[in-house]
Amino acid sequence: MSLALEVTLRAIIAVVLGFSFVGLALVVLNVVERKLGGRFQSRYGPLHVGWHGSLQTIADLLKILQKELIIPAGADPVLFRLAPYLSLVPAITIFLAVPISENIVALESNLSLLIVLFLPAVSVFGILTAGWASNSKYSLIASLRSAGQMFAYEIPRTLSALSVVMLAGSLSLTEIVKNQQSIWFLVVQPIAFLIFFFTSLAEANRVPFDLTWAESELVSGFFTEYTGMRWAMFFLAEYGALIGSCFLTVLLFMGGWLGPFLPPVVWLLIKVSVLVLLSLWFRWTWPRFRIDQWLNFSWKFLVPLSIINLLVTGTLMIGLRVGV
Amino acid sequence: MNERAICVRIEDLKLTLEHLHSEGYNYFSFVTAVDYPDHFLLVYGLVNTGKHEITFIETPLSKDKPVAPSSTGIWKGADWHEREVYDLFGITFEGHPDMRRMFLPEEFEGHPLRKDFQSDEVEKKPEDFY
Amino acid sequence: MGLKDAQKGPVMPAIHLVKLEKLFDWGRKNSIWPLPWALACCGIEMMATYASRFDLDRFGILGGFPSPRQCDAIVIAGTVTKKIVPVIKRLYQQMPEPKYIIAMGNCANSGGIFYYDSYNVVKGVDTVIPVDVYIPGCPPRPEALVEGFLKLQEKILGESAAEK
Repeated sequence: MSLALEVTLRAIIAVVLGFSFVGLALVVLNVVERKLGGRFQSRYGPLHVGWHGSLQTIADLLKILQKELIIPAGADPVLFRLAPYLSLVPAITIFLAVPISENIVALESNLSLLIVLFLPAVSVFGILTAGWASNSKYSLIASLRSAGQMFAYEIPRTLSALSVVMLAGSLSLTEIVKNQQSIWFLVVQPIAFLIFFFTSLAEANRVPFDLTWAESELVSGFFTEYTGMRWAMFFLAEYGALIGSCFLTVLLFMGGWLGPFLPPVVWLLIKVSVLVLLSLWFRWTWPRFRIDQWLNFSWKFLVPLSIINLLVTGTLMIGLRVGV
Repeated sequence: MNERAICVRIEDLKLTLEHLHSEGYNYFSFVTAVDYPDHFLLVYGLVNTGKHEITFIETPLSKDKPVAPSSTGIWKGADWHEREVYDLFGITFEGHPDMRRMFLPEEFEGHPLRKDFQSDEVEKKPEDFY
Repeated sequence: MGLKDAQKGPVMPAIHLVKLEKLFDWGRKNSIWPLPWALACCGIEMMATYASRFDLDRFGILGGFPSPRQCDAIVIAGTVTKKIVPVIKRLYQQMPEPKYIIAMGNCANSGGIFYYDSYNVVKGVDTVIPVDVYIPGCPPRPEALVEGFLKLQEKILGESAAEK
């Protein structure tokens, strides 16, 4: 097969698999989140739909399929329809470059970290478009807040990922995981791990950073005017971003698929599940930040902290002659 | 809470309110009205939170000129109370920044708490027919 | 709706039609997302029903979405005054089909204790928007609200999907 055909086929398979994985994960994760949240609040979550509520998200999705698709009168016809895809597509396509095991990856590349770090930035366009095209002041304010938050978080996130890149000496995700065979980067770079994990949560608009749709302030945020299936795409994009961030954190800091007895894919899934459950825990426990508090925190604390982390890492590496 | 009640004429109302404010009455508790057969009675409640005192002020208003000076210049909190009195009694307050109806829809006709308010929509209780 | 028309194509045998409708009805019944719209005292009972003791999330009823565009039901909980009638109409129009209205409490059903001698209370929210389920009570207990939702689920199962 010619190279172009092979690459295209691999990409298609990867996208289909990625989409179904995210869809399946959404179904499972939504039920887990609601039941877990229920238990945190001394109540059962969904109970009667299927065995102990396990079919709840399927019922939700079936209902959403039947909803009328409304377009507000003043909304921009093209942009309004485009925005959900702009938000969803980056969240799914990062799985093209994410390696599942040493040799299993859809898009073999030396720069896979760059792809996975910066594709979610495209989803900011989706949010801005959604807020603008909705012709509603709540959506606009919420989308601007969301965009501001995302810009504020790209920088510490990238810088903390950069310190891992320095330690591993490569931008390829496969190489980075291979370099963690002796010791996880979590232990070597705890500050970078914390910064990366929390800024990834902020990118995915999860509590405590979901100030973009603080309910009492902004109705429902930038997707206030979206109904039915279009809204479900934003929903899917949010969960996709969350899972993608957890995958990335595991690959960068927690040793990816490395582990003693079980097959690598299973280790990867276990570690990703731990992180995802942790973020669900945060969502149901912590109150949310105010936009000015959080932006202040990012620009005045996280950015200098990640720069200092980078400098210290570089100095120590040169000093101890590690990896350079 | 120590209480006292004073009755003033409508011409002296503004002076009284300003004097009380300078005496330390910092909390505008309420203003309401009563509809008597031949006059309205405006009732103010002003509180001195420092000394735990409340002073009630009663002011009779004539029915053909139900206008009173607004207290929004002295206490900001008088804003909505005066709108409520306007909405339900029809007593206008001069100098109020935003004199419009509060609880009833804008196109509502009449002032419900007046004794002579009639409306077909108000269902009479069954006892009223006997 | 386009989806229903696609089902009724000549290729689909009738028995598949029935099963798909039942599946969609099942989905719609188990995932009612009401708009949290508390007007008065009944709102407190509604909030109590969402909370831990009488959990409504058991039935899949997620009350979290404040935007009418993503909800399929409104629980009109409380007294409806003339001033809020335009707002109710606007919310009802903003909701996508299929949508359901539950009138909770005596005031929303018929004006309640404010039926007589009241100049500003609308005598029942069904003079403004079509209501599906009435829940009497002043305020109805959380168990009554839960039964109201279950009756709504029965109603959803009972109606054919083509009607909505």
